[in-house]
Amino acid sequence: MTVALAVPDVLVARAQAGDEAALEALYRAFETPVYNLARRMLRNAEDAEDVLQETFLEVVKSIRDYRGEGYLWGWIRRIAATKALMRIRREQLRATEPLDIEPGKPGMHVGANLDLERAFEHLTDTSRSVVWLHDVEGYTHEEIAELMGKSVSFSKSQLARAHARMRRLLDEGAGDGEGAHA
Amino acid sequence: MMHCTMDDLVALQANEASVWARRHVEDCTACRAELDKLYQRVAQLKALPALRPPRDRWSVVRDVVRTQRARRRRTWGGWGLATAAALAGALLVPGLGSNGTLRAELSIAKNQSATLEDQLQSYDVDGRVLTGRMAAKVAELEDRIAVIDGDLARFGTLKPQAQDAELVQLWKQRVDLMRQLVNVRVSTARYVGL
Repeated sequence: MTVALAVPDVLVARAQAGDEAALEALYRAFETPVYNLARRMLRNAEDAEDVLQETFLEVVKSIRDYRGEGYLWGWIRRIAATKALMRIRREQLRATEPLDIEPGKPGMHVGANLDLERAFEHLTDTSRSVVWLHDVEGYTHEEIAELMGKSVSFSKSQLARAHARMRRLLDEGAGDGEGAHA
Repeated sequence: MMHCTMDDLVALQANEASVWARRHVEDCTACRAELDKLYQRVAQLKALPALRPPRDRWSVVRDVVRTQRARRRRTWGGWGLATAAALAGALLVPGLGSNGTLRAELSIAKNQSATLEDQLQSYDVDGRVLTGRMAAKVAELEDRIAVIDGDLARFGTLKPQAQDAELVQLWKQRVDLMRQLVNVRVSTARYVGL
């Protein structure tokens, strides 16, 4: 999705001074991109809502630290991505992250023709996060590795595995056999 | 014939592929088709519709903002009273000159600000109603006070030891705005007739 990157400096200055109307204007401007990012990274919609709330609580708390270097959206997006990844890590500590979900298994609403969105949803939270941050948000593997506390090669291999997985799911959904590029 | 793996294709997409992979994809129709599919998947992911939050969470964030603001005001108010007491003692020490005068003005302004804060705190804000025009006036005054509080906070960070005319001026402006706020709250609001 395209996010309007330009926010008037005066609005940011007012928000930094604690102006409630300005803070709400920032919330309204960025609630959808923040929620969308979190929802694409996380399997659970309620978790994504929580990330939205946590992100803006952090924005309110730390907006004075924003020095206007780079776009405000980049600053907010980093906070949101960090919050979402923290949630993924917490879940991983609680239980081993499930393997990619097989289409057609009980509990999954999978039709004969998987579209890309559904195939994407079948990836693990970690894989989805890497794909979304890299392919859609434009993060580099170095940036993803830093955010995740992992190596660059981890980010690269997650991306390749996720694409192989999506390709396979899409082919299976379309009734094709396994190709040579998994 | 050996084909590109997905690692190779992803690397090709990022212009980081090996020489072998770059040469191979030029000659291999199947791998070129796979690379095209990868580009298409990425393009489709980028084109997915934005998911919108099902519920509005602003009210929760707003409540935190208001709590922080109230706490900050109480802090300023309390700090004002404490500083006023401390400075009142310091003013008894001779030889402070013009610096002493500024300190006295600062002390008075902070004291007044704290008194007005207390007055506002003791006032039953929720139990009264305002006209739309007055509610807008209250919001404007609160916003202007918040801006001054921000300036004061920055002032404290930049010049922790400073007690110059600029600081006194900021506190006087705050007192003036607080006075207007109390006036609007106390004089123009009416109890809800329940």
